[in-house]
Amino acid sequence: MFGLLMAFSTLRFVWLGWIEDHYTDTIFHFHYFGFSWIEPLSSPALYVVHLLMLLASLGIATGYFYRISAVVLFFTFTYTELIDLTYYLNHYYFVSLVCFWLMFMPEPGSNFKLPAWCAWLIMFQLGLVYFYAGLAKINTTWLLEAMPLRIWLPAHNDLPIIGSILALPESAWVFSWCGMLYDISIPFLLLYSRTRSLAYLLVVVFHLLTGLLFQIGVFPLVMIGSTIIFFSTEWHHRFLALVGRIPLAGKAFRISASQDGNGYLNTNFPSWLKFMLIVHVAFQMLFPWRYLLYPGNLFWTEEGYRFSWRVMLVEKAGDAAFYVKDSQTGREGLVNNREFLNAHQEKQMSFQPDMILQFAHFLGNHYKNKGVHEPEVRAEVYVTMNARKSELLIDPEVNLMNVEDGWAPKKWILPLQP
Amino acid sequence: MKRLMRFYLPLLLILALGQGCNKDDKKDPDTSFNRVVMLEHYRDALIKPAYSAAAAEAAALSQASIEFTANPSAEGLNNMKTKWTATILAWQKACMFNFGPAAEQGVKKSLQEELSTFPVNLSKVDQILAGGTYNVNDFNRDARGLLTIEYVIFGNNQSSEEVLQAFESSIRKDFLNALCADVASRLLAVSNQWQSYGTEFVNNSGTDAGSSVSALYNQFVGSFEAIKNFKFGLPLGLRPGQIAAEPALLEARFSKISFRLAKAHFDAIAEVYRGKDESKALKAYVNSVTGGKELVNTTEAQLALIENLFDNQNVNLDMEEMILTNPQPLIDIHTELQKHTKNFKSDMSSLLGIAITFSSGDGD
Repeated sequence: MFGLLMAFSTLRFVWLGWIEDHYTDTIFHFHYFGFSWIEPLSSPALYVVHLLMLLASLGIATGYFYRISAVVLFFTFTYTELIDLTYYLNHYYFVSLVCFWLMFMPEPGSNFKLPAWCAWLIMFQLGLVYFYAGLAKINTTWLLEAMPLRIWLPAHNDLPIIGSILALPESAWVFSWCGMLYDISIPFLLLYSRTRSLAYLLVVVFHLLTGLLFQIGVFPLVMIGSTIIFFSTEWHHRFLALVGRIPLAGKAFRISASQDGNGYLNTNFPSWLKFMLIVHVAFQMLFPWRYLLYPGNLFWTEEGYRFSWRVMLVEKAGDAAFYVKDSQTGREGLVNNREFLNAHQEKQMSFQPDMILQFAHFLGNHYKNKGVHEPEVRAEVYVTMNARKSELLIDPEVNLMNVEDGWAPKKWILPLQP
Repeated sequence: MKRLMRFYLPLLLILALGQGCNKDDKKDPDTSFNRVVMLEHYRDALIKPAYSAAAAEAAALSQASIEFTANPSAEGLNNMKTKWTATILAWQKACMFNFGPAAEQGVKKSLQEELSTFPVNLSKVDQILAGGTYNVNDFNRDARGLLTIEYVIFGNNQSSEEVLQAFESSIRKDFLNALCADVASRLLAVSNQWQSYGTEFVNNSGTDAGSSVSALYNQFVGSFEAIKNFKFGLPLGLRPGQIAAEPALLEARFSKISFRLAKAHFDAIAEVYRGKDESKALKAYVNSVTGGKELVNTTEAQLALIENLFDNQNVNLDMEEMILTNPQPLIDIHTELQKHTKNFKSDMSSLLGIAITFSSGDGD
């Protein structure tokens, strides 16, 4: 199932021409902290990478060359994501994590039995995604002001039937509360056998609705497909048996209709695996809380924002004006960002301090090569958050060339006005 | 288990209630702004009139060119200059609607790029005038369009007599006719296509990437930024790496109407924002959403400030001369245009929830 989803996602990416749009038609790429050595390959090479990704996805779906497929899928997918920070999405991170663990899971045998830890790990990861996404929604802006849904919902008032509902002022509050309660409780509802079927129905309804309302690509499908894992092994065997009865499909997916025995495979797994699992679980539980170590409003500074399952939480947009000054002549010029960035990159960069810093360094080096002496780069960045009046995000006087990115709090970020 | 049920039953009830509430609340949805009415207003009151006016002026220019080249005279040349000025001024009101029929299609670039690329590549044009070949459909967009026509009929610091004399060359005549016919036919084609595209435009009333609102808005902002970046910033030498002003990068420097054009362009942008009918345009749309009133006030204040800076100058001022002698008033306009960018660009798109990117996932 996961393999099929990945195959679909890969095809969609290539079909939409995103290889060119995202990776090869741009001059500059935003790097992930610590991964600045990753650069995009040429366009044909990226097509090869995506072809490999597609084959590997199909390999995982069908069980042919499972191990090799898992390794190839993890590396090709993660590599593609690491090329440009602009396109960071929580569900891509989720996919990367799952791909990572697929490499260590035993090859599914003909009876489709898996060790219990595999299922539990995925369930843990899915539950965590929902639960943390729900926790992140417990804040006054989301629950009491119904922001940003008060912006996002009326923008869709043209949809048939539900459009008029979305336009109602009350709807944003209802949706905000339902969304929070859904995220917080769905892992438990899925775990508990009596509520499981109802919970899965909720999963389908929730993700179809969000898929309709927001431009979130394959995310709804990923979640609807993945949460199936919460169902019991008997259910899975019945499901597979059903698929197995379809002519050809059974053969293609190496499913034999004669499934016997229930439950998971009991294997004692090696200590290194045990260790990795503990580290992974601990990291997943703790890393999203790192924001507590940073001063200021998390949604404003975005320090410790990514990789923490904070999804669709805030409406932000900015306008970033970069000024490059020749420190010998004193002549200062205003950069046209679109000379170097595409619309998507410019939009994402304009409200995220680490990306602003990266771009500033790129500009400094670019204009140094063009003959500007020891360029000083400063940026006037006005950001609007959740329909507030826009205000300065960073200190417009700071020479960003003197600032390095890192884990330490960014002192050049200005606090959000009360 | 019982305890679990006690916890979850109320939760499920709340969820169910939440869903139920939605279904009951169908009455009076008139709180929402009607984007279909807005799109109809843009189509009928601004876009179609702007394209048909520009197309009519261009047709008159093309006709004048045929008459002038058949029998070159000082009077005919003056008529050409007048018609050209009328065409490029009319174009300022259409140039921001660079989508739909005007959008890039295959090898054909967008109408805006085909008609008003500047600066003109003078050496390419001189080569053509000296007997080289030309093709109005190739990639040499800096050697055709309205600003190449300008160079051919105004000359580079040449007197009217000198230009008239140059029209003894049949190549120059043919080239001018071809350029004018090309501009006229491109404008006519887009203007005509709006007759059928208009319905599609109005019906595609969402806010996602690919919607009419998104296309209209993004081109509007891009056009506004082009005034700042290309009509002021570059010629004033305000881009990093420039070590001096570069008046050669001015739009329409041969006719010396650069300032007049920039002002017309800016006024047209303000009109797109406000609409012919203020209750049906972007301004009213912003005003209808959360946080919108404040942005409308900020926007109006800044627009008034810029309009004032434009009005303080003689509309017929020679920008090239001013850049070299007294650039400060022009630099001030650039500064205030930059200050205004956030109002049109990030604040407005954010409040309206308009997609400004082509692909999915604004933080999923």
